[in-house]
Amino acid sequence: MSPSFDLPPKGGFSFDLCRRNAMLESKGLKAPTFLKTGTTIVGLVFQDGVILGADTRATEGPIVADKNCEKIHYMAPNIYCCGAGTAADTEAVTDMVSSQLQLHRYHTGRESRVVTALTLLKKHLFNYQGHVSAALVLGGVDVTGPHLHTIYPHGSTDTLPFATMGSGSLAAMSVFESKYKEGLGRDEGVQLVVEAISAGIFNDLGSGSNVDVCVITKGHKDYLRNHLLPNPRTYVNPKGFTFPKKTEVLLTKIIPLKEVEVIEGDAMEE
Amino acid sequence: MSIFEYNGSALVAMVGKNCFAIASDRRLGVQLQTIATDFQRISKIHDKLFIGLSGLATDAQTLYQRLVFRHKLYQLREERDMKPETFASLVSAILYEKRQFGPYFCQPVIAGLGDDDKPFICTMDSIGAKELAKDFVVAGTASESLYGACESMFKPDMEPEELFETISQALLSSVDRDCLSGWGGHVYVVTPIEVKERILKGRMD
Amino acid sequence: MKLDTTGLESFPTLLAPQNDVVGDLSAAPSFDLPNSNDFDGFLKEAIQMVKPAKGTTTLAFIFKEGVMVAADSRASMGGYISSQSVKKIIEINPYMLGTMAGGAADCQFWHRNLGIKCRLHELANKRRISVTGASKLLANILYSYRGMGLSVGTMIAGWDETGPGLYYVDSEGGRLKGTRFSVGSGSPYAYGVLDSGYRYDLSVEEAAELARRAIYHATFRDGASGGVASVYYVGPNGWKKLSGDDVGELHYHYYPVTPSTVEQEMVEATGA
Repeated sequence: MSPSFDLPPKGGFSFDLCRRNAMLESKGLKAPTFLKTGTTIVGLVFQDGVILGADTRATEGPIVADKNCEKIHYMAPNIYCCGAGTAADTEAVTDMVSSQLQLHRYHTGRESRVVTALTLLKKHLFNYQGHVSAALVLGGVDVTGPHLHTIYPHGSTDTLPFATMGSGSLAAMSVFESKYKEGLGRDEGVQLVVEAISAGIFNDLGSGSNVDVCVITKGHKDYLRNHLLPNPRTYVNPKGFTFPKKTEVLLTKIIPLKEVEVIEGDAMEE
Repeated sequence: MSIFEYNGSALVAMVGKNCFAIASDRRLGVQLQTIATDFQRISKIHDKLFIGLSGLATDAQTLYQRLVFRHKLYQLREERDMKPETFASLVSAILYEKRQFGPYFCQPVIAGLGDDDKPFICTMDSIGAKELAKDFVVAGTASESLYGACESMFKPDMEPEELFETISQALLSSVDRDCLSGWGGHVYVVTPIEVKERILKGRMD
Repeated sequence: MKLDTTGLESFPTLLAPQNDVVGDLSAAPSFDLPNSNDFDGFLKEAIQMVKPAKGTTTLAFIFKEGVMVAADSRASMGGYISSQSVKKIIEINPYMLGTMAGGAADCQFWHRNLGIKCRLHELANKRRISVTGASKLLANILYSYRGMGLSVGTMIAGWDETGPGLYYVDSEGGRLKGTRFSVGSGSPYAYGVLDSGYRYDLSVEEAAELARRAIYHATFRDGASGGVASVYYVGPNGWKKLSGDDVGELHYHYYPVTPSTVEQEMVEATGA
C-alpha cells in the first residue's frame, strides 16, 4: 500500500469533504456563501483594437467586501479577461488558462491567439457544467486582428463587437446599444466604456466604486487601473478617532526578531 | 444557522506604518454554549507571518496543520521563509482545490511583513477568492460589526502603539454586539524588530 | 372554543359580554389567517421573524424571607446582540413580578394585560389578587392561544395573603407551582449554581448573592445571555430592586485578574 501523503498539486478538485458537508447540510446547517462579484464588466472593439472595462466592487451577500478589487485579469500580454460571478472561480479559471497560454507560448514561440484562450476557457467551463460559475468577457488583439468574446458559465460563447456581462450588464448594454458605432477612435471608445461602467456603478446595486479600463491595441496595451474614481470617501474624520477608555491588557509577551537590546516592558496600561 | 456560526469567531487585521496587527477573540463555542475562553485562532507561520482562521474550528485546525506542513516543505526545498504573497496564494490554492460542495468552512485572514518589511494583509472566502486590502480586513461572525468599527476607527500610517489601540478597540466594541464571539481578545502587533503579543481584558458575557 | 381576546381590545371590557348568545356565531373572535397555502411553514417563518428575545436567563426562588427574582438583560436576534439593557423583570404591581423569556413582545403584552386584570380584580373584590389566581389568569389566556405561535416562558412571583408565591407559566399552557425555577437558554447553567447553593433559610443578602451568581454564571456560558444581572426581592411589603450589576465588571469582581509583567522571550529562541 502506498502511503497517502498530503503532497503538493495533483491538479483538479478534491472531493474528500463532500460527504461530510452533505451530512452537515442535511442536518440543517446552511451552506456557506461565497465572495461574488455582482458586477458590471464590458468590452468593445474600436478601430485599433479592443477596450475592456470593469467596476471594482466585490460583494458577499449584502456586504461590500472589497471596494477596490481587480476584475480585469491578465491572460497574455495581448489578451485580458474581465470576470463576473463567484470571485474564486473567475480568479482561478483565468489564472489557470493564463499559465497554460504561457506554456504554449514557450512551446511555440509565438504570440497567443484570443481563440486559444477562448477554447481553453470554454472547455473548462463546459467540463464543469456550470458549477464553475464564471461569466467572462475576453478581449485581445492577435495576429488575426482584434477579438471580443463573451463566455457564459456553462461554456457557451459569443463573438461580438460590443459585450456586457454581470448584474449590471443591462445598464451597460443600454449605453452601448444607443451609442456604439463601428470605427470608434481610442478616446471615444474609452469614453463609451467609462460611460457604460458608470451606468452599472450607479444603477446596479451589485456594482460600484471605481472604473478600471484596459485598452489593447496591436503590440501594445494600457491597463488603466482606477481610470475614474467617481465615488471617493467623503466621510473621513479629519481629527481621527479618540477612544474614551484605554484598552486594558492582561498579558504582554514580546518576541524580539533581530539581535537588538531588550526594550522596556511596562505591562499594565490602565 | 450557518456552519460558519457554529463555533463563533471574530478576526481582524490592520496595516500601520511598517507594521501590522492581527487580532482575534478568544471564544470557542458550540452554538450558544461557551466551551473555552482561551482559544487560539491566530497562528504563527513564521516570525513575520501570521494566519487567523475564522469559521468552523475543526476545519481551521486541519487547514492550519496542512498549511504548516506545506510551509515546512517549502522551507526545506527553498531554505527560506515564504513571502506573505506566496503564502496567500498557497492558502488560496488549497481552499480552491475543495471548490465543489466540499470547502473548508474557514475564512482566513493572512497578515505578514514581506520584502523590505512592507506589511501585507489579505482575507479570502472559504473557496480561496483573495481579497487584498491596503487598510484592514475582517472575518468571522462579528465581521459586520467589525466592518463598521474599522471603517470609522482606521486611519493610514499608524505607529505600532496607536495601531494596537485602534485594533483592540475595534475588536472589543464589535464583539460586544455579537453573541458568538468575544470573551477577551488576543492581539499581535508585528514590527520589523519585534512581535508584541497581548491578551486583552474584555467582557465575559 | 372561544378565545379570550380581551387583551387585544383597546380598552378592557368591564362588563361581561352581553352578546353571549349570538356573539359566538356572528363575531367569533379569532386571528386573521395569513394568505398562504403552507400554513405551518408560514407560521414557523413568522415566529422566527418576531422573536427577538430568544436567549435569556431568568430565575426565581422562594426562601425564608420571601421570593428572589433575577434576570440578565440581553436581547439578541440570531447572533446579533440587539440590546444589552432590556428589562426582563416586569413589575406587574407592587407585590408581584413577572419574568420575561421567549418572545419579548408576547411577554410584555400579556404581562401588561395581566396587570390590568389584576387591578380590576382588586377593584372588584377590595383585596389584592393571590399569586395563584394571577398566574392562573395568565395561564388560561396563554392556553386559549395554544398552538397559535405565542412564545412565552414566564415566572409569576409575588407576595399575597398566604405568603410568598411562585409559579412557572408558559405558552404551551403549562402552569407549575414551585420553589425554584429558571427559564431561558441560560437556565441549565443557572440551575447548576442555584441548586448547589440553595437553602431555605438563606438571608436576603445571601439569597441575592446566590441569584446574582447564578445569573453571572449563566451569562458567562450562554452566548445569548449577558448585560446586567438585576436582582429583585419580594417580601411582605412588596418588591424591591436590590441590585443591577454589569456582568462585564462582575466577572472581574468574582475572578480578579492581576495583569502580569511583560514576558520577554530570549533572542536565540527565535530567528529562522
